[in-house]
Amino acid sequence: MNQAFFPKKIPLFALIITLLIFGGCQKTSSENQPKQVAVIISTLNNPWFVVLAETAAAQAKSLGYEAKIFDSQNNTALETDHFENAIVSGFDAILFNPTDADGSVVNVLKAKEAGIPVFCMDREVNSSGAATSQILSDNYAGCVAIGKYFVQTIPKKPSGDAIKYVEILGLVGDNNTWNRSKGFHSVVDSYPAFKMVAQQSADFDRNKALEVVESILQAHPDIDGIFCGNDAMAMGAYQAVMAAGKTREIKVYGFDGALDVIESISNGKIMATGLQSPETMAKTAALYADDYFKGKRDFPQKMPVAVELVSQANIKDYSALIK
Amino acid sequence: MQISLQTYRPIILKFQSLIALLLLCITIGVLSDKFFTVANGWNVLRQISVNICISVGMTLVVLTAGIDLSVGSVLALSGAIAAGLLRNGIELPANNLYIGFTVFGAIVAGILTGSLLGWFNGWAITRFKLPPFVATLAMLTIARGLTMLWTEGFPITGLGDSFTFLGTGWFLGIPLPVWISGGIVLVTVLLMDQTRFGRYVYAIGGSESAARLSGVNINRIKIGVYTLAGALAAVGGLLVTSRLDSAQPNAGTSYELDSIAAVVIGGTSLSGGRGSILGTVQGAVIIGVLNNGLVLLNVSPFWQQVVKGIVILLAVIIDKSSAKGE
Repeated sequence: MNQAFFPKKIPLFALIITLLIFGGCQKTSSENQPKQVAVIISTLNNPWFVVLAETAAAQAKSLGYEAKIFDSQNNTALETDHFENAIVSGFDAILFNPTDADGSVVNVLKAKEAGIPVFCMDREVNSSGAATSQILSDNYAGCVAIGKYFVQTIPKKPSGDAIKYVEILGLVGDNNTWNRSKGFHSVVDSYPAFKMVAQQSADFDRNKALEVVESILQAHPDIDGIFCGNDAMAMGAYQAVMAAGKTREIKVYGFDGALDVIESISNGKIMATGLQSPETMAKTAALYADDYFKGKRDFPQKMPVAVELVSQANIKDYSALIK
Repeated sequence: MQISLQTYRPIILKFQSLIALLLLCITIGVLSDKFFTVANGWNVLRQISVNICISVGMTLVVLTAGIDLSVGSVLALSGAIAAGLLRNGIELPANNLYIGFTVFGAIVAGILTGSLLGWFNGWAITRFKLPPFVATLAMLTIARGLTMLWTEGFPITGLGDSFTFLGTGWFLGIPLPVWISGGIVLVTVLLMDQTRFGRYVYAIGGSESAARLSGVNINRIKIGVYTLAGALAAVGGLLVTSRLDSAQPNAGTSYELDSIAAVVIGGTSLSGGRGSILGTVQGAVIIGVLNNGLVLLNVSPFWQQVVKGIVILLAVIIDKSSAKGE
């Protein structure tokens, strides 16, 4: 009899006690404790996003708020859980880097309903008015700049032959992949001398880019340039070019502003990259949240953050980054 | 006609993946004149050497009717541990101690890491009777998380020429990764064909209860198999790290799928007991040739994924129908 008695009662007691503790906690937190900011990040699997998350949390803390980082692991369902948890546990603002432009809209709306402001960083959600403000890096404009530098730095052939180049795309299901590609092509396609001989995806991955470019170099040993949709792929592409002994003939261009690529630019290995500053976006988002808490309500729907072109021409200005 | 089919049927069955590979190569060769070159051949072999390392281990696991989903994460952690130790060593400020690592020491530490994680998989599966799918799924996220902790989310780069030689070097005109993966295949084939361990692996997959009744220590064999799979994933991790001169925290994501594909295309049955290492090697070569050929032909990235899926499907369908005929 005893055995049947205990398992029934203990969970009940535990539940009651938990409810008591939980209820008590929530009350004091809204009165005495500082406001809480949730930083919900698509992935911490990539150094660039680690910087984005940590800067946002650090900036919020330095403004006197509590900050907690949630990792969605590129999984929109997990992101939904994070949003629900953040809403229930009484966070006051969400600094948000979405996993998916469309899939994340529901989550943002859920927070909006609960009266919690959401500030998107770097990646956007495809819905106007859902997020309080979206602080985005201008991928398109950044790649227009890369495209201009690309056509300037690859010399015309004296024979008048076409200049052959290759484009390595990121994840083909990602908004940024195509914004970058379109920005680049908006410039380069208007130069008839430039001919794209291959366009392949390497999923933003260094190893895949190495393998894909190795194969492309078999089919087209005579190319003049490679444009990569991010810097990890540019590093992989450069390694393939180096292994083929063609670093003089083939110029490599990246995008992101990763430190190893900036270092490679200063060593003359890679031509250029677009530096999108995760720090700027994260700090802006935290400052917006601060303004919101102080009563400001009119924020720009989209706040583009400029992408800086880091190239062989201006690498000296960025040498402090790689120290 | 009837007679000739009867006579040739066993031969066709035995060499079905080889025949498929041949057909694939001829098709790509006809479409691209760059395919049948020596340089491209080494390219393909070097690119598949990582998958071969992992898939050989996966074959052993699948032969016992198990599965190992954690290989990609184990690969990442082993590579990252080796790179981190090589680059930074271990500092123990409390004891005022610094331990540096040589290239050899880092390699040993990487392989030990993989073996330990693999051993843990085997232990959890045999001790708690967990389904291998669940136990290794847990390890997939544990090892990935540990990789993040160890690397703090940043790649570890600048590992030095003697370490990168492992993945980029040549020996007697053959790329070093090809030597390594070839050596692993040779040793495992001997292990499976010539030792009691190999026969027990097949026996467990064929019928676990029959193997138990005939006195095979099933737990010990299984733990051995998973430990080996972990160690081989670690070798793959060292090759990737050394090729890139960089341990990427997200290295090896979804590699388990490529290696299961190689195992399945190579004719090993997912229900255990039937299959071979050499079949898996053929499966890995088919995937490698497909990857390479689709890029050489500049097939759109969207279509590439569809084509790969169809090839896996076809391989299993053919394998199923031939298994029925036996």
